[in-house]
Amino acid sequence: MDDPAKFLLRRLVRRIPAQMLKATLEKWGRLNAEQRESLNFSQSKWALTQELEALCEESRLTVKHIAELEMIYITENPNQMMWHAFQLLDPEDGALAVELMQFKELFKCHLRELVRNVSVKIKKHTDEAVWIRMSWGEGFSRLSHLNATYVVHYLQTPYVFVSGLSPKNKPLLLQVLTLSTKHERIKDANLSGRKLTAIRDLLLRQYEHVFPTKYPSPLTERNQSVSNLHTEKEQAEASAKRHQMAGQAFGNGVLPALQSAVYKLETKFKDPTNQTMTEQDEPFRCVVKFSSTNLLESLRHCASSGIASTPVAPLLSSIPLKGRNYFVITDKSPSANS
Amino acid sequence: MDKSRTSVTSTPISSVSTRRIRRRSFRQSTRSHFGVASRLGLTPGQTTHRFNTSRKAPKPQNITEKVSPEHLALLVKTEWHLCYVTPLYRFRHTQLKSYARQLSAFIAAEKQQGLGVEVGGLQDTFKVSMSVLQGLAETNDDPETVLIQVQSRPAFARQDEPLKTVWSGWLSCINGNPEYLHSLPKDFTCLPLFGSRGLEGLSSLVKSWLRSTFDCFFGPLDINQTTLRWLAALWTNCHMESNIQHLKMQWTLPAAPPLHVAYTVNSGDALALWRSVRKSRGADEEACIEIEEVTSFMEGLTSHFYRHFGVDLSAGDLNQVSTALGSAKVKGRMKISSSRYLISTLSLLTECAFLKIPI
Repeated sequence: MDDPAKFLLRRLVRRIPAQMLKATLEKWGRLNAEQRESLNFSQSKWALTQELEALCEESRLTVKHIAELEMIYITENPNQMMWHAFQLLDPEDGALAVELMQFKELFKCHLRELVRNVSVKIKKHTDEAVWIRMSWGEGFSRLSHLNATYVVHYLQTPYVFVSGLSPKNKPLLLQVLTLSTKHERIKDANLSGRKLTAIRDLLLRQYEHVFPTKYPSPLTERNQSVSNLHTEKEQAEASAKRHQMAGQAFGNGVLPALQSAVYKLETKFKDPTNQTMTEQDEPFRCVVKFSSTNLLESLRHCASSGIASTPVAPLLSSIPLKGRNYFVITDKSPSANS
Repeated sequence: MDKSRTSVTSTPISSVSTRRIRRRSFRQSTRSHFGVASRLGLTPGQTTHRFNTSRKAPKPQNITEKVSPEHLALLVKTEWHLCYVTPLYRFRHTQLKSYARQLSAFIAAEKQQGLGVEVGGLQDTFKVSMSVLQGLAETNDDPETVLIQVQSRPAFARQDEPLKTVWSGWLSCINGNPEYLHSLPKDFTCLPLFGSRGLEGLSSLVKSWLRSTFDCFFGPLDINQTTLRWLAALWTNCHMESNIQHLKMQWTLPAAPPLHVAYTVNSGDALALWRSVRKSRGADEEACIEIEEVTSFMEGLTSHFYRHFGVDLSAGDLNQVSTALGSAKVKGRMKISSSRYLISTLSLLTECAFLKIPI
């Protein structure tokens, strides 16, 4: 095994938590049962790495095989890297009919046309997602498997999720993706986060929605708010309304675990009590970042408990509505408040 | 500047007075000087001293002449954990060497007993040095700041390897309340502000040694919401002379799960808002800053936020304020990034410490 392979293996063993290592190695399948039995998983990671290296040498495994192992681990645990979402626009005629084999061929073919020094591995995951792992090389130098780019695409949807892409390779990859999915353009969806499952669910709208109804509480058991006997009678109706509007804006049940949202505000300062600032022409520049372990649930709770006023402000409800978490708000854009 | 330095380093001797007289004169002075009190969260004990409702804008001071650069480098750009200390009994600035020896012995003894100071091997040697940090005292009544450093050499290092500082702390009093300082009985030195940085185990050892040697009491100096708002306003005011780069405030709203909001305002726009608030009060640049102006400033910021998001930030707590000049966290952690405002920030913190002292 050469140095890059050893380095990649060492880094991978450090990264994979001890309890998952055994299962991941099994799924990998490059070591036979006898070799796997001989590994002692209760020792320190350093000693384990040495043993694994020896076994891989025995089986004459190369860096490509180790890259496979990394891909298996990341596919099972995608919530540890920073993902950015992109949206494909203007589909051509055959776009909806692109299925796996065709996509694979188109992707590899277009990639070869544009870039020479790149290694690609495409795999289909159980939940209909196509995973692509790419290792780039600088000019004519050897491929670097250490900083691989991962791409996830759900066929027949216009969304692509990318992680680990350098600015240099970005235009290339985006062009290849556009061509191989038979679309005209691709744009940044302004949505990013660590949890792939969360941003995927948000974009594909895979969570429980609440639709506006004229008669908000057909089932009285549904609208149980926190009960405080003294205020319940007075506040019941207002509380039910807040719950309904919060649900409409964000959804019911468990929401996708988005973790942050950033707003860059460049709007004018308008305050009737402060004439000096209101008369100024320049915008009041500030950046607001909301963060939480589950941002959408926090916002929904704020709306239903009254911390946020209802109906929910358009800036906040655009997060699930438009499926993005990075906004630049100026006075001219339609989503700015008054 | 003809002040004889020797008299400042000795502990100030105040006139003898009984406790009753002190309390009476205290109350009279508070009423005449400070006006309407602003309501604060916790004002424990019997101090009737209230937080200043107005203060002068801090001017940048070039203190590199007064304080040595090594000392300055020690103090700035580090985050200190703050506590308040009650006055120390029989503390002499001239006996620092002997105190340092006693403290080393104490730390070694505690380690032998097995009390937790985990610094890699059991054979670490600790060396304590205590020195006077000359130049920070503002008035004649302020006792000089004392710097304590604990250095250690790992067990298997060679003898000539340099000692590494593993813990540092200081006791300070800047612009202390003169009435209080004069009213202290003889033998008491008031250094109410204690800052520490480094291993938590060493902090507790140093505190317990100080407690048992000088009969004092330590308590956490939580920087409360009002002080954080003052700091936000004062730092914005400083933007006229020194670039603060941005005004960043961090709030936590009580949602389930808790929602954190980081609200960063462009420094020029924050200053414009501050100026508009001051102008509306009819105050000129040199006059004192009143608490109403601070409140209006914060209200302007939160109402701008509300207009966009419909979320009322006052439903939550302000946890942290930071600018290029420093940062302050509500749990009593403070970082001063610019030596020009060191004295004024320490004066503000000394005032907070005085408020919390229970006697």
